[in-house]
Amino acid sequence: MSLSARMIVVLTVVGLISGSFLSVVGLLTKERIAMNQQQEIQNAISEVLPATKTSHKVFEDGSLTIYESRDENDNPVGFAVYTSGTGFQDIITLMYGIDPSFSKIKALTILEQKETPGLGAKITDESSFLRYWAGRNCEQPLSLRKPAVESPEDLAPSEVNAITGATISSEKVLDIVNLSLERLKEIKQKGQLSSEEKNAT
Amino acid sequence: MPLKKSIGTEYLKGLWDENPVFRQLLGMCPTLAVTNAVINGIAMGLATAFVLILSSLVVSSIKKLIPNQVRIATYIVIIASFVTIADRFLAAFFPPISKALGPYVPLIVVNCIILGRQEAFSSRNSIGRSLIDALGMSTGFILALLVLSSIREILGSGTLLGYPLLGAWFKPWTIMILPAGAFITLGVLLGIAILIESKTKARSA
Repeated sequence: MSLSARMIVVLTVVGLISGSFLSVVGLLTKERIAMNQQQEIQNAISEVLPATKTSHKVFEDGSLTIYESRDENDNPVGFAVYTSGTGFQDIITLMYGIDPSFSKIKALTILEQKETPGLGAKITDESSFLRYWAGRNCEQPLSLRKPAVESPEDLAPSEVNAITGATISSEKVLDIVNLSLERLKEIKQKGQLSSEEKNAT
Repeated sequence: MPLKKSIGTEYLKGLWDENPVFRQLLGMCPTLAVTNAVINGIAMGLATAFVLILSSLVVSSIKKLIPNQVRIATYIVIIASFVTIADRFLAAFFPPISKALGPYVPLIVVNCIILGRQEAFSSRNSIGRSLIDALGMSTGFILALLVLSSIREILGSGTLLGYPLLGAWFKPWTIMILPAGAFITLGVLLGIAILIESKTKARSA
């Protein structure tokens, strides 16, 4: 066999073997990875709306997904809003729970972020950031409190604490939430929050 | 050809004499990027070890079939396949670790330790020796990441493997888990490594 033919044959064979191996691995792990993502969303819903017994998707468009949640007596608990937007360094994906009348945020959780470790990454920190989101009045857009205060009681009803040293990351989270709140109200006005496609989980 | 080393020295050279991080300065990108917590360092070390060991086995077993002109391309295809397997495996079974390591798992493909060992060792040695070499290099790499990430996690977060190690009096040095902390720690460790090396040389001379 000539040298060039050998080169082609060897690379093709190696490529084919690798490719078939990878497709097997891909098939074997695909389901599990999808399940992990599903599980993550489920966990996040129960985190932001702890009374959740069942939940189902009621709206999905681009970066905004809304889940309606009901408790064990099938009473509405509220909505879990899954959304994302630009952070300081990369996309921040978060979820927050809101009451059925869209007036109060129940809790916020950050699902994905690549903010600066030790500074902006504190947006995932319960004690320095997330706990200040509980019970915020969101009938008007939320605003940021700088410098941060110690106790959640010192905040105005629609204020959240900024993280010291990470104002931009805090602002970005605030922007993502405010933007989705605006869209949420529009969607509600248009009556698009249908629960027709019930796929209870 | 250099004199054949014993199996023991072949393995041990990866730990110190030819330690990929401290002596060869290879694979700096993951070394610096993922060592902000011990668990990330361990996961990265194990993923790299998996890729290195299996690539070395495959390369050393088909080394006679690969034409010299396409050897690098062939090595990369083999390495990339194992990296993808490692990446999928982590995403499927250890999603939090996969998330923490982010793009650095796929980036193992371009880790110079792996391609370097194929080129310098597996392509000219027997399967057995390549395996020993890969095991030694992997151990050396894991140890280096372990040392680096322990120092950074203890000083930067006051924890070790997530457990609080230092009391409340300790104010974490945030800089240690930032990129600057990685460079500082690596620089100090490299300095110590060179100091030890020069001392041992002076003594043996």
